[in-house]
Amino acid sequence: MIRRASITVAVILFGLVFASLAANHVGHQSLPPLAKRYVELVPQDLGAPNVITGILLTYRAFDTLGEVAVLFMVAAGVGLVLKTRKRRSKKSPETQPRQASEIVQTGAQILVPLIAIFAAYIIMNGHLSAGGGFQGGAVIASSVLLLLLADPQQRLDLDFLSSTESIAGVLFVLVGVAGLILADGFLDNRVLPLGEFGAFFSAGAIPLLSVLLGVKVGCELSVIIDRFRA
Amino acid sequence: MAEVIGSILILLGALFHFSAGLGMLRMPDAYTRMQAGTKASTLGNTLILAGLAFYHPGWTLKLIILIYFVLMTNPVSSHVLARAAYRIRIPMARETTVDALRDARKPWRGSA
Repeated sequence: MIRRASITVAVILFGLVFASLAANHVGHQSLPPLAKRYVELVPQDLGAPNVITGILLTYRAFDTLGEVAVLFMVAAGVGLVLKTRKRRSKKSPETQPRQASEIVQTGAQILVPLIAIFAAYIIMNGHLSAGGGFQGGAVIASSVLLLLLADPQQRLDLDFLSSTESIAGVLFVLVGVAGLILADGFLDNRVLPLGEFGAFFSAGAIPLLSVLLGVKVGCELSVIIDRFRA
Repeated sequence: MAEVIGSILILLGALFHFSAGLGMLRMPDAYTRMQAGTKASTLGNTLILAGLAFYHPGWTLKLIILIYFVLMTNPVSSHVLARAAYRIRIPMARETTVDALRDARKPWRGSA
């Protein structure tokens, strides 16, 4: 009885806290000056309707490159830490992964292509709507995770993954250098024609960078997932 | 008219989601809770997405894909969760009388 009463009191108190938050909320009447400048500049200057992707892959593309490098280091670090543990557990036969049930295997067969198509959609529409390379790459890695859950014995081709990832990274930097030569600076997207605003092939090099980023992130996260299994 | 139909569908879906939440609170063990949560929320999601299709006819194709995705993933994931719960021997409610998985398991008991 006391428990129930205290739960009720706690819920009511939480309700009061959030009610005061909601009552005092005033939406932004106008954008702050910096945001306003970006919102005007990105569609005009870069030809990308999605302001966020436009900023991430041009003005702050160097920062994005750094983030991808951090992800690469995470993959390397996870590999380093888990490698020693792997050897130890190999001796006991009990840690052998169990076969997944038939429902999971069939479900994975249907879902993996669907998830991969969705990932490609997210990556390719990064400059038009919500999405982009990072998100799409994470979705690719989730399809790889499902594949591994359905068949734990499966071996991923790690050499292929890491060389694909390296090639994508090198191409990303090369596009940036091309911007240095052909346009205004490193990773400037105007090395390619901006095209029609809002079209599928538009916004200069942003879709290309998006694809490279998606491939790179997808490969990196897949390698990390592969390292985590016993 | 379309908006009224859409609203009714969304309301029905919300009702099913409510029953899912109720089932999570009231059911006696992990397996029945999972069953209540999955079944009711699958139907609830389907109804809400169908109701949204009445509001925004332009989204219909995407919503159909979403419904298909929910119908595919929800049962599979709850199946896996229930199986994992069974493997680590989470106890069933005392009223349980049938354990089909135990009967099916007999041939490969040695490996489990």
